[in-house]
Amino acid sequence: VKAFEVVNPGVYTILQDLGRPGYMRYGIPASGVADRFSAQVANLLVGNKPEAAVLETTLFRLELLALENLAMAVTGGDLSPTVNKNPFPMWQAVSIQRGDRISFRGRKKGFRAFLAVRGGFSGPRYLGSRSVFSRGLMGNALKPGEILEAENSVVRPIYDAPIPLNLIPDFSPRPTLRVILGPQQDRFSPKGLETFLSSEYTVSPQSDRMGYRLKGPRIEHVQGADIISEAIARGAVQVPGDGLPIIMLWDAQVSGGYTKIANVITADHDLLGQTMPGETLRFKDVTHEEARAALRRQEMRVEEVKRAIAG
Amino acid sequence: MNEGPKIKPSGDSALLVEFENRIDPGVNRSVRALALTIESDRPPGVQEILPAYRTLMVTYDPLQIEYPLLAEKIQGWLNRAERIDLPPKRLFRLPTVYGGSHGPDLDRVTQLLHLPSEEVIGIFSQTRFLVYFIGFICGLAYLGGMPEKLRVPRLATPRTLVPAGSVGFAGGQANAIATDQPSGFNYIGRTFAVLYDPTVFPPIPFVAGDEVTFPAVSEEEALKVKGRGAGDFL
Repeated sequence: VKAFEVVNPGVYTILQDLGRPGYMRYGIPASGVADRFSAQVANLLVGNKPEAAVLETTLFRLELLALENLAMAVTGGDLSPTVNKNPFPMWQAVSIQRGDRISFRGRKKGFRAFLAVRGGFSGPRYLGSRSVFSRGLMGNALKPGEILEAENSVVRPIYDAPIPLNLIPDFSPRPTLRVILGPQQDRFSPKGLETFLSSEYTVSPQSDRMGYRLKGPRIEHVQGADIISEAIARGAVQVPGDGLPIIMLWDAQVSGGYTKIANVITADHDLLGQTMPGETLRFKDVTHEEARAALRRQEMRVEEVKRAIAG
Repeated sequence: MNEGPKIKPSGDSALLVEFENRIDPGVNRSVRALALTIESDRPPGVQEILPAYRTLMVTYDPLQIEYPLLAEKIQGWLNRAERIDLPPKRLFRLPTVYGGSHGPDLDRVTQLLHLPSEEVIGIFSQTRFLVYFIGFICGLAYLGGMPEKLRVPRLATPRTLVPAGSVGFAGGQANAIATDQPSGFNYIGRTFAVLYDPTVFPPIPFVAGDEVTFPAVSEEEALKVKGRGAGDFL
């Protein structure tokens, strides 16, 4: 069914699902939503499977015209969503009438919001996923006048109460990202490692879904910044010759030849998705055990939302 | 004394196996042998197996398999990999038109090397390149085997857009780029075979260990293959 017409595509709005893992060996990044928890909750609220495609929108100005009576939910960063200029609650399913206008009027907290529609957005699948990755010729950002369709396969009833407050992330500014050092931490001087773990870094405006470039104290190498090119894991913190770190993210190239000082743990990738250029962050090193416990907690939170919704 | 390959964490969901620190067909063969061994025995939790020049990355779900156990399994696979037979190499022959608008850097390369263009084309088109691995973005094949006589540096200023299929080189590396993109390599020719298509599986024709040549053909011949997958040129 025709769900929305795009009146204004906003700063940057794309269709994303949980991505296409498994194709890195063909040079294709996994992509997928930049905040998995928020996107999954948006889907669960409207009765979709957590992996259904959602709109991922950045900052503000997205405006949609409803072409049908629909149920939808918005989660993630607070970008002041409104229906016909009236604010509506996030983290909760809402009913929309044909002719309603949904718009995102300004960022209050976080960086990216996720909009799920009952049934899930349809759209071409590439290698099993609807995640847009323009550089790889797999779809494009929304354009004015574009019609967005939803699948009409009705799955579960809609949960129209808000989810428990303690399950809603708070996206505090100045996050501390947990990292596991390596694989090339021996290519940095003790002073360089100290700089990395004790300094505050600012996300530069040249940051996007491929990577976050950071500004701040330069990290000292011991024998140059180049290595023979190899695969890059998501969350890798690359430090090229200028000593300024780059965090490799959802749409990053899958291989490269710069030393990597550390890797942001999987459970903290969502936090990065809600950190915007100009904001600051820090790094803290943790063990594999801590990283695994954090990831388990994150998965438990999705399960708790599922339980709350199932009543 | 040779300590053997090293296993290191690369974050909480990937590990890296490092072989000798050089670009070499023999070292890369060990990387591919390990990749094949793991693939044939993929335990639950192992996700992607990513060979590169001299390293192999294995990504995994840490809630299904923990790092120390996976590292231990890798040790076992390393021992088995020494005895494994790799599949035979495939050779792709991609018809290529050299020079003119299809090879904007040919003239500059001939001047830098003090070689006539026929000789540059002759040497390049007769070289069998080894696909060390696939990576970067959109299926870039890292090609090795660049002849010593054709070593030229990268462009001082990269081109902002090089069309897909452009064939070129810089330093000891060669490539045929899979999609339109910026590049600082010296492009001397172009193939019109399709090197990347995300609407089919596999999206790119090569795998690590394949070989590729770029035989010289006329523009007319080169254009005839437009739209055909590189897999047709085995």
